Amino acid sequence: MTRGDRDRDTICAVSTPHGVGGISVIRVSGPRSLLAVSELCAFVPKTPESHRVFHGILKSADGLEEIDDVVVTYFKEGRSFTGEEVLEVSCHGSPVICQNILNELVNLKVRPADRGEFSYRAFMNGRIDLVQAESILSLIESQSQQAARLALRQLKGSVSKKLELVEDDMTWILAHAEAGIDFSTEGIDVVDDIEVLRRLESLDVVLSELIATFKAGRVLKDGLRVVLTGSPNVGKSSLLNSFLEDDRAIVTDIAGTTRDVIDGDTSFKGLKLTFTDTAGLRDDSTDIVEKMGIQRSRQATGESDEVFFVFDLEQGLLPEERAILDSLNPAQTFILGNKLDKLSEEPLKKSFFQTLLDSKFFKKLDDPDAFIKRRLFFVSALDRKMRSEVLESLLQEYVDLKKENSVLISNTRHWENLSKALENTRRTKDVVRQGLGHEFVAFELKDALISIQETLGKRFDDQIMDRVFKEFCIGK
Amino acid sequence: MSTSQFDVIVVGAGHAGVEACMASARLGLKTLMVTSNLKRIAYMSCNPSIGGLAKGHMVRELDVLGGQMGIAADETCIQYKRLNASKGPAVRGTRVQNDKHLYSMFQAQALKSQKNLSLLEGEVKKLILQGDLCIGVILQDGAEIFSKSVVITTGTFMNGVMHVGLRQEPGGRVGDSASMGLSDQLASFGFEVKRLKTGTPARLLRDSIDWSKTTPQAGDEKIYPFSFRSENKLKLPQILCYLTRTTEKTHEIIRKNLDKSPMFCGIIEGVGPRYCPSIEDKVTRFVDRISHQSFLEPEGLSTDLIYLQGISTSLPEDVQDAFLKTIPGLENVKVARYGYAVEYDYIEPTQIWHRLETRTIRQLYLAGQINGTSGYEEAAVQGFVAGINAAHSILGREELVFDRDKAYIGVLIDDLVTKGTREPYRMFTSRAEHRLVLREDNTIDRLGELSHKLGLVTSEAYDILNRLQDRRKYLLSRLRAEKVYPTKEVQAKLATFPTPALTKSLSFEELLRRPEVSPSHLELLGFEVDPDPNVHEPVEIEVKYSGYVKRQLELIEQSKRLESLKLPEWLKYSEIRGLSNEERDKLETIKPRTLGQAQRISGVNPSAIQAIMIHLKGHNKVKEMEVEQSGTGSVGSMLAHR
Repeated sequence: MTRGDRDRDTICAVSTPHGVGGISVIRVSGPRSLLAVSELCAFVPKTPESHRVFHGILKSADGLEEIDDVVVTYFKEGRSFTGEEVLEVSCHGSPVICQNILNELVNLKVRPADRGEFSYRAFMNGRIDLVQAESILSLIESQSQQAARLALRQLKGSVSKKLELVEDDMTWILAHAEAGIDFSTEGIDVVDDIEVLRRLESLDVVLSELIATFKAGRVLKDGLRVVLTGSPNVGKSSLLNSFLEDDRAIVTDIAGTTRDVIDGDTSFKGLKLTFTDTAGLRDDSTDIVEKMGIQRSRQATGESDEVFFVFDLEQGLLPEERAILDSLNPAQTFILGNKLDKLSEEPLKKSFFQTLLDSKFFKKLDDPDAFIKRRLFFVSALDRKMRSEVLESLLQEYVDLKKENSVLISNTRHWENLSKALENTRRTKDVVRQGLGHEFVAFELKDALISIQETLGKRFDDQIMDRVFKEFCIGK
Repeated sequence: MSTSQFDVIVVGAGHAGVEACMASARLGLKTLMVTSNLKRIAYMSCNPSIGGLAKGHMVRELDVLGGQMGIAADETCIQYKRLNASKGPAVRGTRVQNDKHLYSMFQAQALKSQKNLSLLEGEVKKLILQGDLCIGVILQDGAEIFSKSVVITTGTFMNGVMHVGLRQEPGGRVGDSASMGLSDQLASFGFEVKRLKTGTPARLLRDSIDWSKTTPQAGDEKIYPFSFRSENKLKLPQILCYLTRTTEKTHEIIRKNLDKSPMFCGIIEGVGPRYCPSIEDKVTRFVDRISHQSFLEPEGLSTDLIYLQGISTSLPEDVQDAFLKTIPGLENVKVARYGYAVEYDYIEPTQIWHRLETRTIRQLYLAGQINGTSGYEEAAVQGFVAGINAAHSILGREELVFDRDKAYIGVLIDDLVTKGTREPYRMFTSRAEHRLVLREDNTIDRLGELSHKLGLVTSEAYDILNRLQDRRKYLLSRLRAEKVYPTKEVQAKLATFPTPALTKSLSFEELLRRPEVSPSHLELLGFEVDPDPNVHEPVEIEVKYSGYVKRQLELIEQSKRLESLKLPEWLKYSEIRGLSNEERDKLETIKPRTLGQAQRISGVNPSAIQAIMIHLKGHNKVKEMEVEQSGTGSVGSMLAHR
């Protein structure tokens, strides 16, 4: 497709920050935007007036499902931000609702927008000059205070309160470290290392907990990547086709048919799932193409959120399969015993369980019962319920669907900042334990503080010294 | 108009003035120093000591560059201390007690014997301007002296008012009158003139103190002179300082008399330093503290005066008498001079350039307390920079501006001109974000080359500096090249250090990197270490902390990217979209040189930096687009793919 074609597409995207917020706005721009939105929003008139707002229920295209109570704003061609016909749908700020609406639009051949594509169109249509286009793009992407503030809206109160406590604690430690350096001659009582370590420890816990919520937050936003792996000819490709509800991969009885990585997207309960089928892992392959494929499957496994380890129930778990299994991380692995349809004898299952119980993989599990209940399935690609059973269980691992409004971090920048802060906090602990000195404590922890303040949309300034003067009686 | 009689006139003979006129005269310019009191050259108005944390760093930097302070402090040292000796290498700082009379004499002698330099006693009342160019000064008696540049270093004297209790009198310091007129004139030129406050404690008579009730404090045995030109030994006999503490009774008296404190009655408007609060401040702000420490510091070898560190006050004399007598050792104390507070005018330093020239009047340079700083060392380095730049502008040479990652001097001046100050600005190590590489021990490595370029240091002295650097390099290269092998004998010795045995051969550098291994250990293994601590200590530090040094250098590299983006002078902030009014105002006033500096202005948010960057990029892009109209649509596709 040439560039020009793409430019005439109608595009859509959530234009407010991702995550849980008060409201979200989905922007639709392009020649077919009124048409598409009207399909979902029957209450929008056929020839609306520009800059008018309409309120009603947005339904699925087939009219069966009410998705959300929304407000739609119409902008005529030539009078909108992009210069094209634009409709903005304000819905409730739930990632699941947004995803549902986007899915409906995509079904109506509205394409998800590329990053910065609205600004690009505005620029191309002469609505903004280059400087503005760039400034909008950069402001969106920047780690600026404004961007931080915007993004902060999605951090629900309790998260930012937590972060403010983290900030306060870091400043406290830093103030003590700096006072111990710059005012060491003034007989002030600076805290001892044990207290500093205690505080760093609790910072570590708080940050780790917040970071852990990102898993769910990011999944809501970006979807989930799953890799199918296992020996050749255990039926990975058939399973892939079932998950994708599509005949994507070529399925034969010949081991090693899939030689490269095959991707496919599907959606389950409003969440995007990307499945990747890989070349079966075997060490004895002499085929160069297949070998390369195997290498790439190992790589794909590393980049995925979850690995579906597939084996053939008829054959049981072969020694080389056990080796593969042992190399996987149990926290990110599902085991799918395939070809249940061909299985006639219960004992096979039993012998599998014995092998599993003996495996290194199994010994790594924190909670074996939970694993067996939630992450182990005996399946058949022919079984129509298989897909929803497995995927339901998969989703449970990430999102508590009943508690969709719980606090979580979904912004990648926040996650990066917090991860960096955690890393620096841990380094600070090492520095304190090694007794390296206050300036090294400060060196590490200041970095952490800056990351926290960036997340909170604050600026790193003189607060450490302010704190020193507040806490200590200083002065010769 | 008459022709210039001098190239540079320096107003003031304090620590800034001395460095300014010495620098200018040493560069061969005809220099005049005007001071209202020739007997108080480089006078220590407050504590009789030089250096301290972060301040010691600046003294060394100044010394390498060819300043005066380091030598004078070494020559007149009566107690030497390395502060934070037990802490990490970057935050160790040298502080010396000085014989304040000898210090002043030493500097006066240096001025008098300096070629190209004349001294004049008199008070400068006004500047002579020609348009926006400063071309001289007018003295109290109406005499006009013309010059090509003027450096003002008037300290606390501009509109100075001294407070003792509720009584006030004009003056910049006990025994010296205030300088009136100059700051009014500066205000009339449009300068923002503000008020600061500082204070000094009482001076006590030696014989009236019961020393048995105090704890003596000796200096260090091992010394590291400030100046690389100084011999490694002390010239004067060394003295003890003495520690005592305030009592609850002291605090009670002070609290009862707060109504007589000008600070607490609102008579003093000027803002005092938070790091150097008066004793009144201390007892009111930290109610829980039952005692505050104080050092009794002799002001010299041949004087009876004792400086009472930590107890600055502006309470009336009788209250001072009363509370002093409650301090152990001071029961029968006689006060030679009571403590007092002084209020003075300063120029908000965001009105000057990094070269310390004012933005509105050309060839007018400001240095020291007039820029809102506190401390002899802070003043001295500014005096030096102002003196050099005044001279350089006349000589047509490049301005002298220090980067923040090169010197504390750079941190100081950049902070002042970028952020301004509300309280007297003192240097702290924590102000230097690149602290780990701004150490006392590596000063010559940081500034040696620049010093050579400046040319203030004699070639003999420069040879010393070079030799020192060469010996460091040599030692480091040997540490890298020579290896230690896991022989039985070596392993046995390692066990005694103790440090883990070797599993394979190591370079001596790798061995020295172990925290528990010191240079003397290397000697035991047959590696010859240069015995001069000025050689082996810096090398050891570089080796031991190389991981951190490397990370710090990486951070510097990152910050350089913004630092290297120069902001053109034609930049109109009113034209940049996305700036708040506050940001626009601040940027217009401060006119940052680089995007890095813009980022440090308080109140200027990261988004503003982004906006400026985009604005500049946009300008360049538009130009690029005009040039290659065929353009392949690169701009558009770039945008689309972001």
